[in-house]
Amino acid sequence: MAKTGVILCNCFGEIGKVIDLHSLKKRIENDPAVDSVTIVESLCLPGDAAKTHSLMLERGIGKVVLGACSPFGKMEFVKLGLEKEGADVRSVRTVDLREGCAWVHGKDAEGATRKAANQLDMEIGLLQIMRDSKDIAIRVQQEALVIGAGPAGLSAAAGLARLGFKTHLVDRGSAPGGILNMITKTYPADEPGPEKIRSLVEETGRNPLIRFYAKTKVSAVKGYAGDFKISLAGPGGNAALRVGAVVLATGARILFPQGQFGYGKVKNVITQMEMERRFATGTAGCKTAVFVQCVGARNGERPYCSTICCPLSLKNAMRVMDENAGAKAYVLHRDIMTPGSVLEAYYRKALQKGVQFIRFDADRPPEVRGFDQVSGVEVFDTISGVNRFIETDLLVLSTPFIPDPDAAALARMLNIPVDRYGFYAEVYPIHPVETRNDGIFISGTARWPVSSDQAIAQGEAAAVKAASFLGRERVSALTMSRVPGGKLGHAFADAAACTGCGNCVAVCPYEACRLQRTGNRSVSRVIKVRCKACGGCVAVCPNGAMQVPEQNYRAVGEMIRRAFREVR
Amino acid sequence: MKITDKKTKTVLVVGGGVAGMSAALDLAGSGHRVHLVESGYDLGGQVAKLDKFYPTDHCAFCPLWTEIRRCKESPAISIHKNGRVETLENTSGGYRAVITQSTPVIDPELCICCGRCESACPKGVARPIWEHAYPPVYLIDRDRCGDCRACVDACPTKAIGFDREEEKAELAVDEVIWSAGFTEVSLEPLKEYGWGTHPDILTSLEFEAWKAESGENRGAILRRSNRAVPRSIAFIQCAGARDLRLLPHCSAVCCMHALKQAQWVKRRNPDVHCAILYTDLRTVGRDYHEYAMRDFGGNGVRLVRGRPSLIYPLPGGDGIAVKFEDTSTQKREIWKFDMVILNGNLKPALSSLPGATASPELDAEGFVARTATSCGFVMEPADVTESAIQASSAALRSITDKN
Repeated sequence: MAKTGVILCNCFGEIGKVIDLHSLKKRIENDPAVDSVTIVESLCLPGDAAKTHSLMLERGIGKVVLGACSPFGKMEFVKLGLEKEGADVRSVRTVDLREGCAWVHGKDAEGATRKAANQLDMEIGLLQIMRDSKDIAIRVQQEALVIGAGPAGLSAAAGLARLGFKTHLVDRGSAPGGILNMITKTYPADEPGPEKIRSLVEETGRNPLIRFYAKTKVSAVKGYAGDFKISLAGPGGNAALRVGAVVLATGARILFPQGQFGYGKVKNVITQMEMERRFATGTAGCKTAVFVQCVGARNGERPYCSTICCPLSLKNAMRVMDENAGAKAYVLHRDIMTPGSVLEAYYRKALQKGVQFIRFDADRPPEVRGFDQVSGVEVFDTISGVNRFIETDLLVLSTPFIPDPDAAALARMLNIPVDRYGFYAEVYPIHPVETRNDGIFISGTARWPVSSDQAIAQGEAAAVKAASFLGRERVSALTMSRVPGGKLGHAFADAAACTGCGNCVAVCPYEACRLQRTGNRSVSRVIKVRCKACGGCVAVCPNGAMQVPEQNYRAVGEMIRRAFREVR
Repeated sequence: MKITDKKTKTVLVVGGGVAGMSAALDLAGSGHRVHLVESGYDLGGQVAKLDKFYPTDHCAFCPLWTEIRRCKESPAISIHKNGRVETLENTSGGYRAVITQSTPVIDPELCICCGRCESACPKGVARPIWEHAYPPVYLIDRDRCGDCRACVDACPTKAIGFDREEEKAELAVDEVIWSAGFTEVSLEPLKEYGWGTHPDILTSLEFEAWKAESGENRGAILRRSNRAVPRSIAFIQCAGARDLRLLPHCSAVCCMHALKQAQWVKRRNPDVHCAILYTDLRTVGRDYHEYAMRDFGGNGVRLVRGRPSLIYPLPGGDGIAVKFEDTSTQKREIWKFDMVILNGNLKPALSSLPGATASPELDAEGFVARTATSCGFVMEPADVTESAIQASSAALRSITDKN
């Protein structure tokens, strides 16, 4: 068993000016567990890591308590330096003697020294009892699954293949393209929708690393990051895949505004998608077109902005004017959502072209006039303060993206959270395509309403993240996490103490705990790769069967005992 | 063929904010080498200087912290702080870049953040970089420094050196990603905003630092003129932006930024009246509109649609008058506020490189044209989420050939 050593840093007097380091040394070196206590001037300057490491080797100490500054000071870099020197830093603990003792208790030298002694004592105690979690390494399956073959899914699959990974691209439709197939022109480049992704469709079709599964759904998911076992159900029967990472690009639906603004009853009250169909079939002729924004969005039920509807209306309003000589176009809006430089320029273009913008209030929405056929719209223009009547023969309703009804089931299967509406939720805004579940990435409108350009970028982002994960080929459960220094450890179920009550299974947010039948009883088993060492299972286990070895019950109990004893 | 079998590329990433760091980490994760050039003292960019982060309302630094650590710990990423790309030339198959970098007066490698330079400095110009910096280090503001060098002797680790030379390094790289972020534009030309005429007329970034919990007021909401508690604050949107005289673009982040600031003012002092004068309330993003529609407690934040025609300090220090038309009532109003926060004057922080054959092509507004690989605000006004997405996408594009 490795010996325990304590190294105290003076920090050029920053610690020593308050804490009597020699007295501190005396107090802790009596502990039978402590082999040696060394006082040094610094631990963090260039060359110090090598010195500290050779001190450890010289004294034969494998477990080390470093009494120095705050972990938010330099201690993480000190540990990193030691790791580079070849030390096993899992048995290196740090105690904050500078900020936490010397600086805050500058006026009470004895108190600061006492506190320092107790904190060092606790860590010494912990080191005697803590164990390292048994780590496992898994082989990462060098293939990826992309679900959904719209702009996001196509670009994700193409990206993964460009990076050299075999990719399975699954779509429930018969051909790739998604909603974009129905869009005759996209904003702001006025490119036909299918044209926009033609190169991606061709690339994914041509690249031998990509296999496309039409009319196929994912029916079951087992396994974990690096080794997911996927069952597919398609026209050719069922198929089984083993993939290391999954990119979700399942798209979204667009809300049907049944009953609103006479939709479904009054002729020529249509949705944006129906407008696209009219453009495609050459039946978009009209004298006046009125576009109503935020139909079913930014309201009580769906308080979100759907991102694409404003630029979509700008595009279609301009197109109506282009394709019908002398036609007028109005956009009735609450705010024109064209953030950035490109879309703002697009808005200016529409203004210059003569598209008329009327701002209405959410509390006073426009009203449709006409019985079987739309004849006009009455709207209270908040900017001029008057009620206006616009004679029109076409009313186009801009409705938001809503989550696909299949998305929730898939999210459950893959154990990733959805937001309050049902869109896939990212782990944090700064990591927008990553999810709580390692190895699963999200992109496109299934994640949040976005334009096709944004969806393509998100597909690429998901591809590069998935590839970084797959590229590791072998990964250990402890280093899977992206947090520097890895995770603390992973939970472990003591089969002898476990009664199979299932509390751990119920609380684990990562589905890492499973009940497994052993002989005539069920016991809990932890899937190490999934475990994030959150400790939830430890807290709810009535028998103390669940433990994280690095901070097990006995170790924590010992720390508490030492926290309250006097160290002389 | 796996990425690990492919030729390792070396990519120069210009700018170490959210976009640059995300791109660098993705490149490193895919087995490539990165030179990350950051003009500031440390990584983190603009977000590192923010007090809070929307829509989560967390401290802005926390989410960045992990990214900064990952960059610093990655053996594949070389960080060049206080760095600048001097020249960039096309070579066969790549670029030759000359970058300059310098060690600050206080070498962060040696600084132990003991604060003795601060105590020794008679002019008070030695201070922590910013209180969130990790690891925390001090810096000396050379512009206000009296050059007495008292700090040099005070420093126990000999971290302070005034005569350090700028180092030049020549790098051969395969690709370049531009991620230089944004910078504030002076509102001086637009006289009606009154910027610079009164200490209580601040830009939103100035206000963010002024109200920061880690800043000099410890989160208290105070007037800058007399440190009294303001009775009212106006947030003026599109100041300088969506304005053909200065910045035609919409800066995309300001609506949420103002909502966030107003909310934090309310949280810390519900008695301060807040009004946001906006043109369009652009809350495009997950949870953004919900954030705008929150009841901010107390009597809430007034959202007023109108753009001021004149902002002027009243004589005798009696507040600041804001003259505008409330477009929802069509009334011309003059309201008096104690503070005015101007929001919107952000432009891409990249100018073309003198004498460079491979300088990125910039459009009329200063954004990097799509002929070069870029991400973040230099590509298109973007918040953290969009920047991170664009960065990963740029990383992919820089290491693969689209076929």
